Amino acid sequence: MSLLQVDNISRDFGSLVAVSGVSMAVEPGELRAVIGPNGAGKTTFFNLISGLLPPTSGRIVFDGKDITNLLPARRVWRGIARTFQVTEIFPELTVRENLRIPVEGAAGYRLRPWLSREVAQEMAARVSGLMDMGGLREKADRLVGELPHGDQRATEIMMSLALKPRLLLLDEPTAGMGDQETYDITRLIRRLHREQKLTIVLIEHDMRVVFHLADRIMVLAEGAVLAEGTPDEIARNEGVQAAYLGKAA
Amino acid sequence: MGQINNKLAANAIVWLLLLTAPFWMHWVGGYTELGSRVLVMALAAMALNFLLGFTGVLSFGHAAYFGLGAYGAAMTIKYLVPSTPLAILVGVLVGTAAAAIIGTLIVKLRGVYFAMVTIAFGQVFYFITFRWNTVTGGDDGLTNWTRVPIDLGFTKLDILHNPELFYYFILFFFALSVALMTILLRSPFGRTLLAIRENERRARFLGIPVERHIWLSFTISCFFVSIAGALYALLNNFVDPRALYWGLSGNFVIMAVLGGMRSFWGPLVGAVIFVVLQDYVSSMTQNWESFIGLLFVLIVLFFPRGVLGIVRRKVAS
Amino acid sequence: MTQLILFNVFNGLIIGAFYALMALGLSLILNLSGVINFAHGGFLAIGGYLAYVLIPFVGFWGALLIAPFLTAFIGLVVERVLIRRLYGRDQLYSLLLTFGLAYIFEDGTRFIWGAQSVPYQVPDWLMQPLSVEYFFLTGYRVFMVILVGVAVAGLFLILNRTRLGMRIRAGTLDLETVSVLGVNVRILRTLNFGLGIYLAGLAGVLAAGMLGLSPTIGNSLIMPSFVAIIVGGLGSLPGTLLGGLLIGVASGLTTMFFPSASEAVIYIMMGIVLLVRPRGLLGEEGRF
Repeated sequence: MSLLQVDNISRDFGSLVAVSGVSMAVEPGELRAVIGPNGAGKTTFFNLISGLLPPTSGRIVFDGKDITNLLPARRVWRGIARTFQVTEIFPELTVRENLRIPVEGAAGYRLRPWLSREVAQEMAARVSGLMDMGGLREKADRLVGELPHGDQRATEIMMSLALKPRLLLLDEPTAGMGDQETYDITRLIRRLHREQKLTIVLIEHDMRVVFHLADRIMVLAEGAVLAEGTPDEIARNEGVQAAYLGKAA
Repeated sequence: MGQINNKLAANAIVWLLLLTAPFWMHWVGGYTELGSRVLVMALAAMALNFLLGFTGVLSFGHAAYFGLGAYGAAMTIKYLVPSTPLAILVGVLVGTAAAAIIGTLIVKLRGVYFAMVTIAFGQVFYFITFRWNTVTGGDDGLTNWTRVPIDLGFTKLDILHNPELFYYFILFFFALSVALMTILLRSPFGRTLLAIRENERRARFLGIPVERHIWLSFTISCFFVSIAGALYALLNNFVDPRALYWGLSGNFVIMAVLGGMRSFWGPLVGAVIFVVLQDYVSSMTQNWESFIGLLFVLIVLFFPRGVLGIVRRKVAS
Repeated sequence: MTQLILFNVFNGLIIGAFYALMALGLSLILNLSGVINFAHGGFLAIGGYLAYVLIPFVGFWGALLIAPFLTAFIGLVVERVLIRRLYGRDQLYSLLLTFGLAYIFEDGTRFIWGAQSVPYQVPDWLMQPLSVEYFFLTGYRVFMVILVGVAVAGLFLILNRTRLGMRIRAGTLDLETVSVLGVNVRILRTLNFGLGIYLAGLAGVLAAGMLGLSPTIGNSLIMPSFVAIIVGGLGSLPGTLLGGLLIGVASGLTTMFFPSASEAVIYIMMGIVLLVRPRGLLGEEGRF
């Protein structure tokens, strides 16, 4: 059974149709890339899955349950985490605190006025683990707002991971990054996918990253699905080439 | 480590000054009631800052819950039972309950809209106390009652006639509230509030039910401000509708900003400066309002980070 | 009975017209610049007092013409010197600044003209009742309703037909795009602020003849204006107009049945509206 099943989903803004009748099924453990020219509706599609926007029509099923009308926070509780195209973090808090908030939240302590010593230590250990994985250890007590872009991105991804998600949505994780940072983030995503068997859907512009990571690729153009298949199939698809190269030229 | 030591030292100094205030106040031209008033206003400003500085929500209507606390306490003593602790309890219950109800109506609004709605809602309570003269005394206020000495069994605390004792009585509640706020702000719950302040969207997509937490923060903040309100009525042995007028809400905000709304003790520092200035200037001139207006403008233009904000920057650089 | 109801509805309509005039100015500034102008009531009072000073020289009609423009000019200066510095900073600061200005304006007018209301001359013939049966329909009141109507119509004409107005509306929707398109946003905001203050000044000149001119006149109108904006719908000018008239009439009718609740009723209305439609009657649906 698919972990995420999107059925014929649409969203318009007045007369502008941003997403039109898109369906997608993501299997557990899969890494799916969503690509397409600018304005193809990729981010709107993500916003529909994560609950930032309600769809005009269509249905979203996660783990066998209809989540079409759930609020964002409730989707997070079900196991859907996401990052944003423009990094969304807590700039005036340290890396440690940025991670501590989702770690405590995922453990169900959001409303606790205090924690026992053991629980606090357990939380701190999890935060440490996440910082190690994201390569953020040395920057633990720096304010995130003062860190370079790559570290902010890594923090955001680790924050999402702190939620112990079953599905991770990454909106252009390498946007605005240099080669080294792109390489680091790509490696991080690959490890999450390979070692933790995490199901990931990502939007990405950098085709090197896409073809390096993705199990399957979905191509959106003008709000609709243009093609879907393995990286090889997509690379050979003439319609995709026309849409891409036509726009790019 | 240095940072932690600085914090400890700052805390020690604050508490030492507050504990010894009745002994040195008159040397610097103060008097005990002034100290009590500073404490009450500081508590109100810190309560507001729980929301403003640590949740990032712009509330401009806190005078309403301050005033409800005051009226709740005053009316309890005047009409129900002559008991100071009970008066405080009722005042706090009234203020907090009103905030909890209003809170449900406004949690979806943000920024200046939140400010506008909170300040407008405060006016309901203002007009109720203003118009319902038979019970509240209307514009003239609620008079002919006083705070009541407390009988502890083994000894009697005459907080009515002994101003120093009443100062410590207020300090007791101040300390209790401050301790509670500290615990809350350092807890996982407190961190969710910081998260909302820093980035609401991120908080939401980390699974924090933002509306519920803002409602809680608003209600908690108003709980503390109604404690301050109840103490304020007891301090004056009097309460009138000005205790809930929107001008007072603005004063709470400016105290927090003046002291530094990102630091825990900021509002206390702001309250000290504001109340002492008010006491001094209004004894010198009729135009206290122009003065305070000018103070608002100058703070906004030249000290937006507040006194402690500036001190922190100096220390950091 | 019918007469009494009509009387109160009409009264409510007049007071509602003032709320609407105030609230429209507030809304203009709020929508484009994100500033709640707490000093709006102060500007209204200034408008009234300027007219009071001018009437002996230029008569009521002259004052009606000149005073709002002078008020708007003061508004332009305040915007350029003070408020402009705060755009792009935490919205808290512009709130506090205008809050401080409100204090200064109220105290300043009290300092100059005293705390008591001053005698304010409206032409005699305007004060005559128009009918014996409907004694409350004095010329002044009818004239006021008409003038507010004209002002509102003029405002919507400016917003819909002139270049400035269209830019203001576009800027309200998407300031960034407007600035990219080459519109000078700083000047746009200044002019928009002036337009809002002009409405406050006009309301001041009219209200002075109706409510009596005292330093607190503005600050007694500002809270209901907030309520008008919230009830009518955030970001919607027609909503603001509707909200103002609605709460005016509601408050007028309450005066008749339960006078001591005539002020509180509008806040209760606001509560109900927020419960049913969190963004007001004509407000846009919210987003995260």
